[in-house]
Amino acid sequence: MRYTIPSEIDCIDVHNHVHPGRDGQLDRTAAAALLEGCTRLRIRRLCVSNPLTGDQPSPEEVRRANDVVLDALAMSDRFIGFCFVNPGFAREAVAEIRRCVVDHGMRGVKLYHQYLVCDPAQTAVMECAAELGVPVLMHAGKVMDAQTRRLQPRLSNAEHFVRAAAMFPRTTLIQAHIGGGGDWEWNLRHLETRPGVYLDISGSVVDAGIVRRTVAALGADRVCFATDGSLEEGVGKLLAAGLTAPELRLICQGNAERLLRLRRG
Amino acid sequence: MYDIHTAMGHWPFRRVPNQAPDALRRLLEEHGIDGAAVANTHGLFYKNCHDANLELAEAIAPHAGFLTGVATLNPAYAAWERDLAACAEILGLRAVRLAPQYHGYALGDPAAIALVRAATAMGLPIFLPHRVVDVRQRHWLDTEQTTSLGEAVGLCRAVPEARVLVTELAVSAGALRALEGGPVCGNLYLETSRLASCHGQVLAQVVKLMGPEHVVFGSGAPFKEILPAQLKVRHADLTAAERKAVSGGSARRLLGLDRGQSERGNRLPWSHRPS
Repeated sequence: MRYTIPSEIDCIDVHNHVHPGRDGQLDRTAAAALLEGCTRLRIRRLCVSNPLTGDQPSPEEVRRANDVVLDALAMSDRFIGFCFVNPGFAREAVAEIRRCVVDHGMRGVKLYHQYLVCDPAQTAVMECAAELGVPVLMHAGKVMDAQTRRLQPRLSNAEHFVRAAAMFPRTTLIQAHIGGGGDWEWNLRHLETRPGVYLDISGSVVDAGIVRRTVAALGADRVCFATDGSLEEGVGKLLAAGLTAPELRLICQGNAERLLRLRRG
Repeated sequence: MYDIHTAMGHWPFRRVPNQAPDALRRLLEEHGIDGAAVANTHGLFYKNCHDANLELAEAIAPHAGFLTGVATLNPAYAAWERDLAACAEILGLRAVRLAPQYHGYALGDPAAIALVRAATAMGLPIFLPHRVVDVRQRHWLDTEQTTSLGEAVGLCRAVPEARVLVTELAVSAGALRALEGGPVCGNLYLETSRLASCHGQVLAQVVKLMGPEHVVFGSGAPFKEILPAQLKVRHADLTAAERKAVSGGSARRLLGLDRGQSERGNRLPWSHRPS
Protein backbone atom coordinates (compact mmCIF):
# COMPACT_ATOMS: atom_id res chain seq x y z
CA MET A 1 0.00 0.00 0.00
CA ARG A 2 1.41 3.38 -1.04
CA TYR A 3 1.21 6.10 1.63
CA THR A 4 3.01 8.94 -0.16
CA ILE A 5 2.95 10.70 -3.47
CA PRO A 6 5.96 9.48 -5.51
CA SER A 7 8.92 11.78 -4.91
CA GLU A 8 9.54 12.23 -8.63
CA ILE A 9 6.17 13.99 -8.99
CA ASP A 10 6.13 17.75 -8.43
CA CYS A 11 2.65 17.67 -6.93
CA ILE A 12 0.46 20.77 -7.33
CA ASP A 13 -2.69 21.33 -5.28
CA VAL A 14 -4.90 23.42 -7.58
CA HIS A 15 -7.44 24.35 -4.90
CA ASN A 16 -6.41 25.65 -1.51
CA HIS A 17 -6.76 28.83 0.50
CA VAL A 18 -5.00 31.35 2.68
CA HIS A 19 -6.86 33.53 5.11
CA PRO A 20 -6.49 36.84 6.90
CA GLY A 21 -5.89 37.07 10.61
CA ARG A 22 -7.78 39.42 12.91
CA ASP A 23 -5.76 42.36 11.60
CA GLY A 24 -6.89 41.72 8.03
CA GLN A 25 -3.39 40.78 6.93
CA LEU A 26 -2.29 37.29 5.91
CA ASP A 27 -2.39 34.87 8.83
CA ARG A 28 1.24 33.90 8.41
CA THR A 29 1.17 31.30 11.17
CA ALA A 30 -1.67 29.45 9.49
CA ALA A 31 -0.03 29.82 6.07
CA ALA A 32 3.22 28.39 7.43
CA ALA A 33 1.34 25.52 9.06
CA LEU A 34 -0.41 24.81 5.76
CA LEU A 35 2.93 24.66 3.96
CA GLU A 36 4.34 22.37 6.63
CA GLY A 37 1.35 20.06 6.36
CA CYS A 38 1.71 19.95 2.60
CA THR A 39 5.41 19.17 2.95
CA ARG A 40 4.56 16.12 5.05
CA LEU A 41 2.33 14.86 2.26
CA ARG A 42 4.73 15.78 -0.56
CA ILE A 43 2.50 18.49 -1.98
CA ARG A 44 5.08 20.88 -3.38
CA ARG A 45 3.00 23.82 -4.65
CA LEU A 46 -0.45 25.14 -3.79
CA CYS A 47 -2.86 27.32 -5.72
CA VAL A 48 -4.35 29.61 -3.09
CA SER A 49 -7.17 32.13 -3.06
CA ASN A 50 -9.15 34.03 -0.48
CA PRO A 51 -12.75 34.06 -1.70
CA LEU A 52 -15.43 36.05 0.06
CA THR A 53 -18.57 34.05 0.66
CA GLY A 54 -21.04 36.88 1.22
CA ASP A 55 -23.79 37.76 -1.22
CA GLN A 56 -22.22 40.75 -3.01
CA PRO A 57 -18.73 41.67 -1.78
CA SER A 58 -17.69 45.14 -2.89
CA PRO A 59 -14.73 45.78 -5.19
CA GLU A 60 -12.79 47.21 -2.26
CA GLU A 61 -13.45 44.12 -0.14
CA VAL A 62 -12.39 41.94 -3.07
CA ARG A 63 -9.19 43.89 -3.49
CA ARG A 64 -8.32 43.51 0.19
CA ALA A 65 -9.03 39.79 -0.04
CA ASN A 66 -6.63 39.43 -2.95
CA ASP A 67 -3.98 41.45 -1.11
CA VAL A 68 -3.92 38.63 1.44
CA VAL A 69 -3.03 36.25 -1.40
CA LEU A 70 -0.32 38.63 -2.60
CA ASP A 71 1.16 38.53 0.91
CA ALA A 72 1.24 34.75 0.62
CA LEU A 73 3.00 34.90 -2.74
CA ALA A 74 5.63 37.12 -1.16
CA MET A 75 5.98 34.71 1.74
CA SER A 76 6.72 31.56 -0.28
CA ASP A 77 7.23 30.64 -3.91
CA ARG A 78 5.35 27.43 -3.21
CA PHE A 79 2.13 29.46 -3.30
CA ILE A 80 0.49 30.07 -6.69
CA GLY A 81 -2.08 32.86 -6.60
CA PHE A 82 -5.68 32.71 -7.78
CA CYS A 83 -7.58 35.98 -7.97
CA PHE A 84 -11.09 36.11 -6.48
CA VAL A 85 -13.61 38.48 -8.05
CA ASN A 86 -17.31 39.24 -7.84
CA PRO A 87 -18.66 39.21 -11.43
CA GLY A 88 -21.51 41.47 -10.31
CA PHE A 89 -19.09 44.39 -10.53
CA ALA A 90 -17.92 43.52 -14.03
CA ARG A 91 -15.69 46.49 -14.80
CA GLU A 92 -13.99 46.36 -11.40
CA ALA A 93 -13.68 42.58 -11.60
CA VAL A 94 -11.83 42.78 -14.91
CA ALA A 95 -9.53 45.46 -13.52
CA GLU A 96 -8.85 43.32 -10.46
CA ILE A 97 -8.03 40.27 -12.58
CA ARG A 98 -5.60 42.37 -14.60
CA ARG A 99 -4.00 43.74 -11.42
CA CYS A 100 -3.57 40.30 -9.91
CA VAL A 101 -2.60 38.35 -13.03
CA VAL A 102 -0.75 40.86 -15.18
CA ASP A 103 0.84 42.97 -12.46
CA HIS A 104 1.39 40.37 -9.75
CA GLY A 105 1.71 37.04 -11.50
CA MET A 106 -1.37 35.21 -10.26
CA ARG A 107 -2.23 32.21 -12.41
CA GLY A 108 -5.98 31.81 -12.21
CA VAL A 109 -9.37 33.22 -11.29
CA LYS A 110 -11.41 31.93 -8.37
CA LEU A 111 -15.20 32.36 -8.34
CA TYR A 112 -17.54 31.61 -5.50
CA HIS A 113 -21.35 31.35 -5.59
CA GLN A 114 -22.35 34.96 -6.12
CA TYR A 115 -23.63 33.94 -9.58
CA LEU A 116 -24.12 30.67 -11.42
CA VAL A 117 -21.19 29.82 -13.67
CA CYS A 118 -23.51 30.04 -16.68
CA ASP A 119 -25.04 33.38 -15.71
CA PRO A 120 -24.51 36.04 -18.41
CA ALA A 121 -23.15 38.22 -15.59
CA GLN A 122 -19.99 36.08 -15.85
CA THR A 123 -19.27 37.18 -19.42
CA ALA A 124 -16.72 39.92 -18.75
CA VAL A 125 -14.80 37.82 -16.23
CA MET A 126 -14.78 34.76 -18.47
CA GLU A 127 -13.60 36.72 -21.49
CA CYS A 128 -10.87 38.39 -19.47
CA ALA A 129 -9.64 35.03 -18.16
CA ALA A 130 -9.60 33.64 -21.70
CA GLU A 131 -7.72 36.65 -23.00
CA LEU A 132 -5.08 36.30 -20.29
CA GLY A 133 -4.92 32.52 -20.69
CA VAL A 134 -5.71 31.68 -17.08
CA PRO A 135 -8.23 29.08 -15.86
CA VAL A 136 -11.35 29.80 -13.83
CA LEU A 137 -11.79 27.61 -10.74
CA MET A 138 -15.28 27.80 -9.30
CA HIS A 139 -16.92 26.60 -6.10
CA ALA A 140 -19.47 23.94 -7.04
CA GLY A 141 -21.65 21.09 -5.91
CA LYS A 142 -24.93 19.25 -6.35
CA VAL A 143 -26.12 19.51 -2.77
CA MET A 144 -29.11 17.55 -1.58
CA ASP A 145 -29.72 18.89 1.91
CA ALA A 146 -32.02 21.78 2.74
CA GLN A 147 -29.52 23.69 4.84
CA THR A 148 -26.82 23.97 2.17
CA ARG A 149 -29.39 24.71 -0.51
CA ARG A 150 -30.71 27.55 1.62
CA LEU A 151 -27.25 28.93 2.32
CA GLN A 152 -25.98 28.61 -1.26
CA PRO A 153 -28.93 29.16 -3.58
CA ARG A 154 -26.71 29.98 -6.57
CA LEU A 155 -24.33 27.07 -6.21
CA SER A 156 -23.29 25.79 -9.64
CA ASN A 157 -23.35 22.09 -10.51
CA ALA A 158 -22.11 20.11 -13.49
CA GLU A 159 -25.16 20.91 -15.57
CA HIS A 160 -24.38 24.61 -15.16
CA PHE A 161 -20.74 24.02 -16.04
CA VAL A 162 -21.69 22.21 -19.24
CA ARG A 163 -23.79 25.21 -20.23
CA ALA A 164 -20.97 27.59 -19.31
CA ALA A 165 -18.51 25.61 -21.41
CA ALA A 166 -20.76 26.22 -24.41
CA MET A 167 -21.22 29.90 -23.54
CA PHE A 168 -17.53 30.58 -22.94
CA PRO A 169 -15.65 28.12 -25.19
CA ARG A 170 -12.36 30.01 -24.96
CA THR A 171 -12.27 29.87 -21.17
CA THR A 172 -10.77 26.96 -19.20
CA LEU A 173 -13.26 25.95 -16.51
CA ILE A 174 -12.37 23.90 -13.45
CA GLN A 175 -15.32 22.65 -11.44
CA ALA A 176 -14.22 22.57 -7.82
CA HIS A 177 -14.21 19.74 -5.31
CA ILE A 178 -15.92 16.64 -6.63
CA GLY A 179 -15.56 15.58 -2.97
CA GLY A 180 -17.06 18.78 -1.65
CA GLY A 181 -20.11 17.19 -0.20
CA GLY A 182 -22.65 17.11 -2.98
CA ASP A 183 -23.87 14.23 -5.13
CA TRP A 184 -20.62 13.52 -6.95
CA GLU A 185 -22.10 10.70 -9.01
CA TRP A 186 -24.69 13.11 -10.43
CA ASN A 187 -21.90 15.50 -11.41
CA LEU A 188 -19.87 12.74 -13.06
CA ARG A 189 -22.86 11.51 -15.07
CA HIS A 190 -23.31 15.01 -16.47
CA LEU A 191 -19.65 15.52 -17.33
CA GLU A 192 -18.71 12.06 -18.59
CA THR A 193 -19.86 12.60 -22.16
CA ARG A 194 -19.21 16.32 -22.41
CA PRO A 195 -15.68 17.62 -22.83
CA GLY A 196 -14.63 21.12 -21.89
CA VAL A 197 -14.80 21.09 -18.11
CA TYR A 198 -12.03 20.03 -15.72
CA LEU A 199 -12.66 18.67 -12.24
CA ASP A 200 -10.61 18.93 -9.09
CA ILE A 201 -10.75 16.08 -6.58
CA SER A 202 -10.71 18.18 -3.41
CA GLY A 203 -13.12 18.16 -0.51
CA SER A 204 -13.60 16.18 2.64
CA VAL A 205 -15.61 13.37 1.04
CA VAL A 206 -13.54 10.19 0.63
CA ASP A 207 -16.23 7.79 -0.54
CA ALA A 208 -14.83 4.50 -1.73
CA GLY A 209 -14.01 4.76 -5.41
CA ILE A 210 -14.62 8.49 -5.80
CA VAL A 211 -11.33 9.28 -7.54
CA ARG A 212 -11.20 6.07 -9.55
CA ARG A 213 -14.69 6.75 -10.88
CA THR A 214 -13.91 10.39 -11.56
CA VAL A 215 -10.92 9.40 -13.68
CA ALA A 216 -12.92 6.67 -15.40
CA ALA A 217 -15.67 9.16 -16.26
CA LEU A 218 -13.58 12.12 -17.43
CA GLY A 219 -10.17 10.69 -18.27
CA ALA A 220 -6.99 11.52 -16.39
CA ASP A 221 -6.31 14.54 -18.57
CA ARG A 222 -9.37 16.37 -17.19
CA VAL A 223 -8.80 15.71 -13.49
CA CYS A 224 -6.62 17.80 -11.18
CA PHE A 225 -5.27 16.96 -7.76
CA ALA A 226 -6.53 19.33 -5.06
CA THR A 227 -7.38 19.34 -1.38
CA ASP A 228 -9.28 22.54 -0.51
CA GLY A 229 -7.63 22.20 2.88
CA SER A 230 -8.62 18.55 3.41
CA LEU A 231 -5.04 17.39 3.05
CA GLU A 232 -5.07 13.76 4.14
CA GLU A 233 -8.37 13.28 2.36
CA GLY A 234 -6.96 14.59 -0.91
CA VAL A 235 -3.79 12.54 -0.85
CA GLY A 236 -5.42 9.46 0.65
CA LYS A 237 -8.23 9.12 -1.85
CA LEU A 238 -5.85 9.84 -4.71
CA LEU A 239 -3.42 7.10 -3.67
CA ALA A 240 -6.29 4.70 -2.96
CA ALA A 241 -7.55 5.00 -6.54
CA GLY A 242 -5.06 2.52 -7.96
CA LEU A 243 -4.03 4.84 -10.80
CA THR A 244 -1.22 4.10 -13.20
CA ALA A 245 2.00 6.08 -12.90
CA PRO A 246 1.21 8.18 -16.01
CA GLU A 247 -2.30 8.92 -14.70
CA LEU A 248 -0.91 9.93 -11.31
CA ARG A 249 1.64 12.23 -12.94
CA LEU A 250 -1.01 13.89 -15.10
CA ILE A 251 -3.42 14.45 -12.23
CA CYS A 252 -0.83 15.64 -9.72
CA GLN A 253 1.34 17.68 -12.01
CA GLY A 254 0.92 17.58 -15.78
CA ASN A 255 -2.61 18.95 -16.04
CA ALA A 256 -1.93 21.77 -13.60
CA GLU A 257 1.31 22.73 -15.35
CA ARG A 258 -0.53 22.83 -18.66
CA LEU A 259 -3.56 24.79 -17.39
CA LEU A 260 -1.48 27.21 -15.35
CA ARG A 261 1.24 27.52 -18.00
CA LEU A 262 3.94 26.68 -15.51
CA ARG A 263 7.34 25.95 -16.90
CA ARG A 264 9.30 23.11 -15.34
CA GLY A 265 12.73 23.54 -13.82
CA MET B 1 -4.00 -1.44 13.87
CA TYR B 2 -7.62 -1.92 14.93
CA ASP B 3 -10.51 -0.27 13.08
CA ILE B 4 -13.43 0.64 15.35
CA HIS B 5 -15.64 1.91 12.52
CA THR B 6 -16.58 -0.46 9.71
CA ALA B 7 -19.79 -1.86 8.27
CA MET B 8 -21.17 -4.83 6.40
CA GLY B 9 -24.40 -5.16 4.47
CA HIS B 10 -26.11 -3.44 1.60
CA TRP B 11 -26.40 0.35 1.45
CA PRO B 12 -29.42 1.10 -0.71
CA PHE B 13 -28.51 4.56 -1.96
CA ARG B 14 -25.13 4.14 -3.64
CA ARG B 15 -23.00 1.24 -4.81
CA VAL B 16 -20.53 0.52 -2.02
CA PRO B 17 -17.88 -2.12 -2.71
CA ASN B 18 -16.65 -4.73 -0.22
CA GLN B 19 -19.91 -4.99 1.71
CA ALA B 20 -19.54 -8.69 2.53
CA PRO B 21 -17.43 -9.69 5.54
CA ASP B 22 -14.96 -11.71 3.45
CA ALA B 23 -14.27 -8.76 1.13
CA LEU B 24 -14.23 -6.29 4.00
CA ARG B 25 -11.66 -8.35 5.86
CA ARG B 26 -9.46 -8.62 2.76
CA LEU B 27 -9.66 -4.88 2.27
CA LEU B 28 -8.73 -4.17 5.87
CA GLU B 29 -5.86 -6.66 5.83
CA GLU B 30 -4.48 -5.07 2.65
CA HIS B 31 -4.21 -1.88 4.69
CA GLY B 32 -2.39 -3.56 7.56
CA ILE B 33 -5.43 -3.64 9.84
CA ASP B 34 -5.63 -6.74 12.01
CA GLY B 35 -9.05 -6.40 13.57
CA ALA B 36 -12.23 -4.38 13.26
CA ALA B 37 -15.57 -3.65 14.85
CA VAL B 38 -18.36 -4.04 12.31
CA ALA B 39 -22.02 -3.03 12.33
CA ASN B 40 -24.72 -4.22 9.94
CA THR B 41 -26.04 -1.45 7.71
CA HIS B 42 -29.36 -3.29 7.42
CA GLY B 43 -30.00 -2.44 11.04
CA LEU B 44 -30.57 1.17 10.05
CA PHE B 45 -33.45 0.22 7.77
CA TYR B 46 -35.17 -2.88 9.14
CA LYS B 47 -38.16 -1.99 11.29
CA ASN B 48 -37.30 -4.97 13.48
CA CYS B 49 -33.61 -4.19 13.49
CA HIS B 50 -32.65 -7.17 15.61
CA ASP B 51 -32.86 -9.29 12.46
CA ALA B 52 -29.79 -7.35 11.33
CA ASN B 53 -27.99 -8.41 14.50
CA LEU B 54 -28.80 -12.04 13.78
CA GLU B 55 -27.50 -11.61 10.23
CA LEU B 56 -24.38 -9.91 11.53
CA ALA B 57 -23.51 -12.60 14.05
CA GLU B 58 -23.89 -15.31 11.44
CA ALA B 59 -21.96 -13.41 8.77
CA ILE B 60 -18.95 -12.63 10.93
CA ALA B 61 -18.78 -16.00 12.70
CA PRO B 62 -16.14 -17.28 10.21
CA HIS B 63 -14.03 -14.23 11.08
CA ALA B 64 -14.10 -14.55 14.88
CA GLY B 65 -10.97 -12.99 16.29
CA PHE B 66 -10.83 -10.47 13.43
CA LEU B 67 -14.30 -8.99 13.14
CA THR B 68 -16.15 -8.00 16.30
CA GLY B 69 -19.86 -7.37 16.01
CA VAL B 70 -21.60 -4.14 16.92
CA ALA B 71 -25.32 -4.52 17.54
CA THR B 72 -27.84 -2.03 16.21
CA LEU B 73 -30.80 -1.51 18.54
CA ASN B 74 -33.85 0.71 18.48
CA PRO B 75 -35.23 1.72 21.88
CA ALA B 76 -38.42 2.92 20.21
CA TYR B 77 -39.23 -0.58 18.94
CA ALA B 78 -40.72 -3.55 20.73
CA ALA B 79 -38.66 -5.96 22.79
CA TRP B 80 -35.35 -4.17 22.68
CA GLU B 81 -34.63 -5.50 26.18
CA ARG B 82 -34.72 -9.09 24.96
CA ASP B 83 -32.75 -8.17 21.84
CA LEU B 84 -30.06 -6.49 23.93
CA ALA B 85 -29.74 -9.53 26.13
CA ALA B 86 -29.52 -11.77 23.07
CA CYS B 87 -26.85 -9.58 21.49
CA ALA B 88 -24.70 -9.64 24.59
CA GLU B 89 -25.30 -13.15 25.87
CA ILE B 90 -25.98 -15.23 22.76
CA LEU B 91 -24.64 -13.41 19.72
CA GLY B 92 -21.39 -12.24 21.31
CA LEU B 93 -21.73 -8.67 20.03
CA ARG B 94 -19.51 -6.23 21.93
CA ALA B 95 -21.09 -2.82 21.49
CA VAL B 96 -24.47 -1.24 20.75
CA ARG B 97 -25.01 1.27 17.96
CA LEU B 98 -27.86 3.72 18.31
CA ALA B 99 -29.04 5.61 15.23
CA PRO B 100 -31.80 7.98 16.31
CA GLN B 101 -31.64 9.83 12.98
CA TYR B 102 -32.72 6.60 11.23
CA HIS B 103 -35.04 5.19 13.88
CA GLY B 104 -36.96 8.34 14.76
CA TYR B 105 -36.42 9.07 18.45
CA ALA B 106 -34.32 11.40 20.59
CA LEU B 107 -31.35 10.33 22.66
CA GLY B 108 -32.94 11.99 25.67
CA ASP B 109 -36.08 9.83 25.44
CA PRO B 110 -36.60 7.65 28.53
CA ALA B 111 -36.43 4.47 26.47
CA ALA B 112 -33.08 5.49 24.98
CA ILE B 113 -31.69 6.28 28.41
CA ALA B 114 -32.98 2.96 29.70
CA LEU B 115 -31.34 1.09 26.82
CA VAL B 116 -28.02 2.81 27.40
CA ARG B 117 -28.18 2.03 31.11
CA ALA B 118 -28.98 -1.61 30.41
CA ALA B 119 -26.22 -1.97 27.81
CA THR B 120 -23.75 -0.31 30.14
CA ALA B 121 -24.68 -2.72 32.91
CA MET B 122 -23.74 -5.51 30.50
CA GLY B 123 -20.37 -3.89 29.84
CA LEU B 124 -21.20 -2.77 26.29
CA PRO B 125 -20.11 0.64 24.98
CA ILE B 126 -22.55 2.76 22.98
CA PHE B 127 -21.68 3.81 19.42
CA LEU B 128 -23.32 6.96 18.05
CA PRO B 129 -22.75 7.73 14.36
CA HIS B 130 -22.88 11.47 13.79
CA ARG B 131 -23.92 10.49 10.25
CA VAL B 132 -23.55 7.54 7.91
CA VAL B 133 -22.83 9.55 4.77
CA ASP B 134 -22.32 13.26 4.20
CA VAL B 135 -25.87 14.61 4.22
CA ARG B 136 -25.05 17.09 1.47
CA GLN B 137 -24.97 14.14 -0.94
CA ARG B 138 -27.88 12.25 0.56
CA HIS B 139 -30.33 10.25 -1.50
CA TRP B 140 -33.75 11.89 -1.54
CA LEU B 141 -35.14 9.04 0.57
CA ASP B 142 -32.28 9.16 3.08
CA THR B 143 -32.29 11.24 6.25
CA GLU B 144 -30.58 14.59 6.50
CA GLN B 145 -30.60 14.55 10.28
CA THR B 146 -27.35 14.06 12.16
CA THR B 147 -26.51 13.33 15.78
CA SER B 148 -24.64 16.27 17.23
CA LEU B 149 -21.81 16.42 19.71
CA GLY B 150 -24.18 18.20 22.09
CA GLU B 151 -26.66 15.32 21.93
CA ALA B 152 -23.87 12.82 22.56
CA VAL B 153 -22.59 14.80 25.52
CA GLY B 154 -26.14 15.02 26.86
CA LEU B 155 -26.27 11.23 26.82
CA CYS B 156 -22.88 11.02 28.52
CA ARG B 157 -24.16 13.25 31.30
CA ALA B 158 -27.47 11.43 31.61
CA VAL B 159 -25.70 8.08 32.02
CA PRO B 160 -22.28 8.91 33.47
CA GLU B 161 -21.27 5.27 33.77
CA ALA B 162 -21.84 4.67 30.02
CA ARG B 163 -18.98 4.74 27.54
CA VAL B 164 -20.14 6.64 24.45
CA LEU B 165 -18.18 6.59 21.18
CA VAL B 166 -19.13 9.15 18.53
CA THR B 167 -18.15 8.16 15.00
CA GLU B 168 -17.98 10.27 11.81
CA LEU B 169 -17.71 13.55 13.70
CA ALA B 170 -15.45 16.44 12.72
CA VAL B 171 -14.75 18.49 15.83
CA SER B 172 -12.02 20.76 17.10
CA ALA B 173 -10.37 20.68 20.51
CA GLY B 174 -11.71 24.20 21.01
CA ALA B 175 -15.27 23.01 20.49
CA LEU B 176 -14.74 20.22 22.99
CA ARG B 177 -13.36 22.70 25.54
CA ALA B 178 -16.26 25.06 24.98
CA LEU B 179 -18.99 22.51 25.65
CA GLU B 180 -21.76 23.98 27.71
CA GLY B 181 -21.76 22.69 31.25
CA GLY B 182 -18.07 22.16 31.70
CA PRO B 183 -15.15 20.24 30.27
CA VAL B 184 -15.33 17.14 28.13
CA CYS B 185 -17.09 14.22 29.77
CA GLY B 186 -14.84 11.42 30.96
CA ASN B 187 -17.09 8.88 29.32
CA LEU B 188 -16.96 10.35 25.81
CA TYR B 189 -14.89 8.69 23.09
CA LEU B 190 -14.18 9.92 19.56
CA GLU B 191 -13.38 8.05 16.36
CA THR B 192 -10.60 9.57 14.26
CA SER B 193 -11.62 9.48 10.59
CA ARG B 194 -12.67 13.15 10.42
CA LEU B 195 -10.00 14.66 12.69
CA ALA B 196 -7.32 16.41 10.63
CA SER B 197 -3.60 16.16 11.30
CA CYS B 198 -1.55 17.85 8.59
CA HIS B 199 -3.87 20.86 8.55
CA GLY B 200 -4.09 22.04 12.13
CA GLN B 201 -3.14 18.93 14.14
CA VAL B 202 -6.71 18.55 15.36
CA LEU B 203 -6.33 14.86 16.09
CA ALA B 204 -3.28 15.45 18.27
CA GLN B 205 -5.00 18.28 20.12
CA VAL B 206 -8.02 16.09 20.80
CA VAL B 207 -5.76 13.33 22.11
CA LYS B 208 -4.01 15.77 24.45
CA LEU B 209 -7.37 17.03 25.68
CA MET B 210 -9.28 13.78 26.06
CA GLY B 211 -6.45 11.32 26.60
CA PRO B 212 -5.33 8.67 24.10
CA GLU B 213 -7.60 6.05 25.62
CA HIS B 214 -10.59 8.13 24.48
CA VAL B 215 -9.58 8.54 20.83
CA VAL B 216 -9.83 5.47 18.61
CA PHE B 217 -8.83 4.83 15.03
CA GLY B 218 -11.68 4.28 12.59
CA SER B 219 -11.84 4.35 8.82
CA GLY B 220 -15.50 4.19 7.85
CA ALA B 221 -14.75 1.31 5.48
CA PRO B 222 -16.19 0.17 3.19
CA PHE B 223 -18.15 3.40 2.69
CA LYS B 224 -14.94 5.42 2.70
CA GLU B 225 -11.39 4.91 1.53
CA ILE B 226 -9.16 3.74 4.38
CA LEU B 227 -5.97 5.58 3.46
CA PRO B 228 -7.09 9.08 4.46
CA ALA B 229 -7.88 7.90 7.98
CA GLN B 230 -4.53 6.13 8.22
CA LEU B 231 -2.68 9.24 7.05
CA LYS B 232 -4.33 11.25 9.84
CA VAL B 233 -2.92 8.94 12.50
CA ARG B 234 0.42 8.64 10.75
CA HIS B 235 0.91 12.42 10.61
CA ALA B 236 -0.55 13.29 14.00
CA ASP B 237 1.98 14.79 16.40
CA LEU B 238 1.67 12.03 18.99
CA THR B 239 4.10 10.19 21.23
CA ALA B 240 4.75 6.56 20.38
CA ALA B 241 2.57 5.48 23.29
CA GLU B 242 -0.27 7.77 22.23
CA ARG B 243 -0.08 6.56 18.63
CA LYS B 244 -0.14 2.95 19.75
CA ALA B 245 -3.20 3.58 21.88
CA VAL B 246 -5.08 5.48 19.19
CA SER B 247 -4.14 2.91 16.54
CA GLY B 248 -5.68 0.01 18.36
CA GLY B 249 -5.04 -0.32 22.08
CA SER B 250 -7.82 2.03 23.08
CA ALA B 251 -10.33 0.37 20.77
CA ARG B 252 -9.54 -3.10 22.06
CA ARG B 253 -9.93 -1.84 25.61
CA LEU B 254 -13.22 -0.15 24.82
CA LEU B 255 -14.55 -3.41 23.39
CA GLY B 256 -13.11 -5.56 26.16
CA LEU B 257 -10.86 -7.36 23.70
CA ASP B 258 -7.80 -6.69 25.84
CA ARG B 259 -9.06 -9.05 28.51
CA GLY B 260 -8.68 -12.26 26.56
CA GLN B 261 -12.33 -12.44 25.53
CA SER B 262 -11.86 -11.99 21.82
CA GLU B 263 -12.52 -15.63 21.11
CA ARG B 264 -15.84 -15.67 22.92
CA GLY B 265 -17.64 -15.60 19.59
CA ASN B 266 -21.34 -16.12 19.25
CA ARG B 267 -23.52 -18.93 20.39
CA LEU B 268 -26.12 -18.44 17.73
CA PRO B 269 -28.49 -21.42 17.68
CA TRP B 270 -29.92 -22.43 14.34
CA SER B 271 -33.40 -21.60 15.56
CA HIS B 272 -32.46 -17.94 16.00
CA ARG B 273 -31.25 -17.43 12.46
CA PRO B 274 -33.25 -14.97 10.41
CA SER B 275 -35.60 -16.51 7.95
